[in-house]
Amino acid sequence: MTEKQGQGKLPRIVIYTGLLAIVLSLPLFIQSRYLIHIFNLTLINIIAASSLRLIAVSGQLSLGHAGFMSIGAYTAGALAKHLGWTPWVTMPLGALATMAVAVIIGYPFARLRAIYFSMVSLFFGIGILAVNQVLEKFTGGYAGLIGISPLFSGSKVANYYFFVGLTVLSLCVLYRIEVCRIGTTLKAVAQSHVVASSVGINEAGYRVLALAVGCFFAGLAGAGYAHYNSVLSHSAFNLLASVNLLVYVLVGGVGSFAGPVIGTAVLIIIPELFRMLKGFVPFIFAAIMILVIFVMPQGLAGLPGQIGSWVEGLRQRKGTAHAP
Amino acid sequence: METAVNAVIGALVLSSMYILVALGFALLLSVVGVLNFAHGAIYMVGGYICYQFSVEFGLNQWLSLLLSVIIMGAFGLFLEKFCFRPFFGDMYGTIVMSIAIILVLETTVNLLVGVHIRSLPAFVPGILRAGAISLSAERLLTFIIGALLLLALTWFIRKARIGQQMLAVAQDVEGAALQGIEIHRISAIACAMGCSLAAVAGSLMGAIFELSPFMGDYMLVKAIQLVILGGIGSIGGVLAGGLIVGSLDAVLPLFASGALTQAIGLGIIIVLLLLRPQGLFGREVT
Repeated sequence: MTEKQGQGKLPRIVIYTGLLAIVLSLPLFIQSRYLIHIFNLTLINIIAASSLRLIAVSGQLSLGHAGFMSIGAYTAGALAKHLGWTPWVTMPLGALATMAVAVIIGYPFARLRAIYFSMVSLFFGIGILAVNQVLEKFTGGYAGLIGISPLFSGSKVANYYFFVGLTVLSLCVLYRIEVCRIGTTLKAVAQSHVVASSVGINEAGYRVLALAVGCFFAGLAGAGYAHYNSVLSHSAFNLLASVNLLVYVLVGGVGSFAGPVIGTAVLIIIPELFRMLKGFVPFIFAAIMILVIFVMPQGLAGLPGQIGSWVEGLRQRKGTAHAP
Repeated sequence: METAVNAVIGALVLSSMYILVALGFALLLSVVGVLNFAHGAIYMVGGYICYQFSVEFGLNQWLSLLLSVIIMGAFGLFLEKFCFRPFFGDMYGTIVMSIAIILVLETTVNLLVGVHIRSLPAFVPGILRAGAISLSAERLLTFIIGALLLLALTWFIRKARIGQQMLAVAQDVEGAALQGIEIHRISAIACAMGCSLAAVAGSLMGAIFELSPFMGDYMLVKAIQLVILGGIGSIGGVLAGGLIVGSLDAVLPLFASGALTQAIGLGIIIVLLLLRPQGLFGREVT
């Protein structure tokens, strides 16, 4: 937040355009299909992590976000497989189905606050997976759902551009929501639900709204994943996946919109660079997490501001050293 | 008849082990103020240390259990001092920290032991028979140890000086500090106790079921269920939650299969929580 105020409006646009240009031109330099695959997964996770952050902004830390993703994924996958619908219809439907579930459970869940909400969402995430196993006929059960029609068959690069577009679109919508009145209200609810409701804010309504919008994008990410991967295994959305999403958000910095984007990119791509270490890769992941929480209390997104204040501090110390 | 008795014994055994792990989790949550996701991993490591000493090094199994408890207690002290204390009052920091600890512990065990499933030999082999009913001595013993530890722990927290200080810290950290309670010392003791309890449960469960590097994930979810269902900050709540969750786990599989059991169990817990958002015996949090 603070480092953005220092810059004018123009440079920020330049930075974003430059970033987008780099992202768009990546496939020109990188031929490896594997790397493009990693980028695609990163983009899907960025959508999911950013949507998780919107829920976190309203003061609710969801620990079952991968469960919501699985609703979108399995809805889209089952529709495409059993009814033969095109991905362009099933993906929005998957997202809408997830949002519908979020609205239905949102009102009773709005009774729960803080840690109780987190934990019940965790149970919900695990419960959804179990329900997926029970509905074996539609979801394939433990064997997984195989043969979902792909978005762009064979071409990882076409998928890459599609996911870049989807991510940019989702981020724009999420950003718009956060900076408008709704976002401010959500932050007020998160800070003190008592004060917020005393000034006439429908607290439960706003928390359900945040959950619904967040889950819409989670469902979209899940549906995108289903059509991209064309195979859904029951382990893709387990507790570990939910926890990973939460870690992306927290390591990136929950206080900043760029946090989940940076966190996801860093935590997926850097461990990938150390792929030759095989079994030791989780140590890299853990090392990044520990480093970030010890050194950067604002998360990775707060790093530029922090470096700025270090430089400022150094300069001041130099100044005082010279003064006497 | 035999099925019914075995179901009851099964429920009691599961409940007592869940409660042991959950009490540790609850101690860390209310006294240290840390949502310790690594508690399942600590439980797992406790089981493996016992396995390592008794099977690989050939020590007496009870001695191995004791060593495992001591080592994990020391690990708890380390955790509190170097991993949780720097993030005092910072919920997000401790969450990330505990997830990092899970990664480190699970990966280490996975690399050292491999994914091969190991099992501890029974602490007490043999089958007890009473009329038409037969049950394994191991399970009975597990339940007895669990119950004794629970009684001792409840007495300790309610009556002993340190236990009462823990209660005070759990109620109000600053108030406790103002009364001259060394909150960091109490936190360290609570953390060590929590980890030791997890180690006991890990070793005992490793003898009944199997050891695997990822067995802690399941136990972690169970521990969270108990603590949340019972209500944060209530020992009686953990006991009641443990009995409910353990009974559900032991009885539901008689009527439904695998995934359905899990879905129904979680559904029941979610509904109970929606009816009482602060848990069965908990106080309201803001």
